[in-house]
Amino acid sequence: MTIDTSTDPQTGYRPPGDLDLATALARYAGPFTRRDAAHLLRRAGFGGTAAEIEAHRALGVEGAVDALLHPAGADVAFPDAPDATLLADPKTRNVTAQMWWLDRMLRTQHPLVEKMTLFWHGHFATSNRKVPANLMVEQIDLFRSQALGHFGQLLLAVSKDPAMLVWLDNRYNNKLHPNENYAREVMELFALGLGNYGEDDVKNAARAFTGWTIDKNQNFVFRPALHDDGPKTFLGRTGNFGGEDVIAIVVSQPVHQRFICRKLLEYFVYSDPEPALVDALASTYALSGYDIAKTVGTILRSNVFFSTRAYRAIPKSPIEFVIGTLRFMEVRKVPKDTIAWLQRMGQEPLAPPSVKGWDGGPTWINTGTLLARFNYVNRVVKTSPPASGATTAAPVDLATYAALTPDDVVSEAGGLDPQRVLATIARDAVQDDVTSDVRETMLDYLDSKNAPLPVPLGAENYQDKIRGALALVLNLPSNQLN
Amino acid sequence: MTTRRTFISKSPGIAVLGGTIPSFLRTAAFAQPLPALGTSVDPGNVLLVIQMGGGNDGLNTIVPFSDDAYHRARPAIGVAETSVIKIDGRIGLNPVMTGLDDLFKEGHVAIVQGVGYPNPNRSHFEATQIWETASPENPVSSGWLGRYLDKTVSQRGGTALDPSRIFSAVALGDTVPTALIAQHVDVPAIGALNTFAYNAGKDGSSKTTAGTLYDGARPGQSPYLGLLENTARNALHGGDALRAKIADYKPAVTYPKDAFSQQLQLAAQIVGSNVGTRIVFVSIGSFDTHAGQRAQQDRLLGYLSQGLRAFYTDLAAHGMQDRVLAMTFSEFGRRVQQNASNGTDHGTAMPLFVVGGKVKGGVYGEHPSLTDLDANGDLKHAIDFRSAYATVLERWLGFDASGIIAGSYDTVAFV
Repeated sequence: MTIDTSTDPQTGYRPPGDLDLATALARYAGPFTRRDAAHLLRRAGFGGTAAEIEAHRALGVEGAVDALLHPAGADVAFPDAPDATLLADPKTRNVTAQMWWLDRMLRTQHPLVEKMTLFWHGHFATSNRKVPANLMVEQIDLFRSQALGHFGQLLLAVSKDPAMLVWLDNRYNNKLHPNENYAREVMELFALGLGNYGEDDVKNAARAFTGWTIDKNQNFVFRPALHDDGPKTFLGRTGNFGGEDVIAIVVSQPVHQRFICRKLLEYFVYSDPEPALVDALASTYALSGYDIAKTVGTILRSNVFFSTRAYRAIPKSPIEFVIGTLRFMEVRKVPKDTIAWLQRMGQEPLAPPSVKGWDGGPTWINTGTLLARFNYVNRVVKTSPPASGATTAAPVDLATYAALTPDDVVSEAGGLDPQRVLATIARDAVQDDVTSDVRETMLDYLDSKNAPLPVPLGAENYQDKIRGALALVLNLPSNQLN
Repeated sequence: MTTRRTFISKSPGIAVLGGTIPSFLRTAAFAQPLPALGTSVDPGNVLLVIQMGGGNDGLNTIVPFSDDAYHRARPAIGVAETSVIKIDGRIGLNPVMTGLDDLFKEGHVAIVQGVGYPNPNRSHFEATQIWETASPENPVSSGWLGRYLDKTVSQRGGTALDPSRIFSAVALGDTVPTALIAQHVDVPAIGALNTFAYNAGKDGSSKTTAGTLYDGARPGQSPYLGLLENTARNALHGGDALRAKIADYKPAVTYPKDAFSQQLQLAAQIVGSNVGTRIVFVSIGSFDTHAGQRAQQDRLLGYLSQGLRAFYTDLAAHGMQDRVLAMTFSEFGRRVQQNASNGTDHGTAMPLFVVGGKVKGGVYGEHPSLTDLDANGDLKHAIDFRSAYATVLERWLGFDASGIIAGSYDTVAFV
């Protein structure tokens, strides 16, 4: 049995160079630089400020990965759930749920947990276009609570999750009128991949899930009267299977190990990973008993993860780009218009385009989405709070503005020397992933060399110029890549 | 209502005929031989797709006014026979659609009735995906027009900055619809011409600088860098190129002020700018009229009708009416029976409009029966939406639909 990758648009975007399979998943023992720490924080989280990068560098590779996998101490405080009234009102429910989650991504001190929650959201892609927002929130909570847990348990929990029962119609699946929607996707998209089951398997799995529905309070309930308890043949086995049996048989297929490991490698390492690398990780995953934390830990500590082939190898997703920008600019609260910007970038949270989730890779990049990324950066970096005392239509929430100011940059650079200002920005924003041509262009910008009258960087213009330079650097190709 | 058979021949291009179609329509509806693909179809032909989002109620759009079952099902929201714009003895247009009626009388409008697909989905989201991917059975990520673009535009020559590549398809609005999602072709979403640009605010030199930053040497070896560089150059320079081209196109009519009509004006400008555009996608909504249907749907149908009238007149004044074919769709029609809120709930089959100088005007297909309904009380479809798609692909864009739509579907003779 094989993984059908013919529909994966990331195929063809594998980085150049050869994989050293013998050492690929062995623990990385090389030097752990600021660039490496920044790489780790981008992949295992949403990127870091200069201070966070330095703190993780100081921990060393083992300490930094451990801190991400097993964060010490409680996270910062978050509301248990969004405001119930806003979550019930059709006018506000979706944006309320979306802002609740984005705010958590922005402020969490346990970024890998949230990054894996986002992974599962893309994997078990469920949309608020069909599912009520309160159930979407509960589903995200489920993903978070089992983000680094055990895949078999997660898949079973997802199969009983009210949002999923609504999304893929299993709530209507009963012995008189079987509905195959969930039964098909659990194999095709969640655990095995196309080509690893037949239509009869879909029919029999659907019979096994009959009676798995929700009650009037939107809680999971098993209704034996609606369940088909007859014998079923499923993936070569026969018995009076129920839904639990189907889940157990699905995850026992060896092809499942490669299916999920390929997806994890595309998320954390690079597009279109070599089949041999997928197989190697699949062995680790199987040995761990489908332990997600151990498997992700293997990836994050590995030589291939810290290889030049993996470095800046994959496009940031819009959510990674947005949260990374806000974190870097030290915005403390997600601005409300961010949802509209994420729509333009092609990744509205809680609203994936289909049950396949977001295709990612090259599909993130088109002229419209790239302009949205550019202009979102411009908007975040160049917007200052109104002067105190100014009249505004709505109350000003300073937390939605960048706390990183041009004065901070000047202070860090030790003055207004353009070379030092640029060096500070390039190091902190993109870890010096800037070509010499771009450095020349940026220096000309800071001194207005191409304007009718060159104006050296100085006390009169440094506020605008440094904000402009921050935006330009955050819009560089290297910052579109993770 | 009399039951009449619909004849769809397996040979391509045979018309869908009803027994009592007026003679001028019958003539129009007879099939023309299918053009040899890629030869007799004008390579400058443009397809304008109009999404009527939310599920448009077909029965109050093309009104079966002579059918008692219609009036029984809709005592509060039905269109009275006296106000219908009659097309024949049985059906007529919603009274707000005077503009479309003008175009119909001039022979530029095809009405394709009873369009749907087997096992119809009544979820907005899923039904929209089905219409836009043209793949009801299997979820796929590419749209039907995206697959067309993948098979044509990516084969074209020209540099990355060539506008005919950048603007081969455009979505007017903030997002690229699923229908235009391609694997290898970048479709820009243009909300408005003046916002399709790098917004540097008052800092003009930063815009100039941004325009050069992606021209430099590559930082690293990611296989995505080439894609990023090309796309960024399109994004940073394409808007300027389009604005420069469009400056030469002056609308010949004053379009209505509603957002949809304004989008049609931009569509005409883009087509008239000759930047190689083959596909334009616009949308109007929301037609999700669960309550108080008449006021809302009539307002939207008025926008659709008057907007298309202005669009056609504008094109004709520029001699372009024969180059553009507009086709509407909606994710589903609505239930026959009105609901308790003077609205209608999600249903199934609905009519499409096809508008253009080369369109063979008339009525295609049967009006669905209002008494022979499916188990949910919804209309049964007679023409598969993939037949309409295959028609515009083969007979308007000159491309073999079998490479784009799974399965084989008859074409309809509206073009």
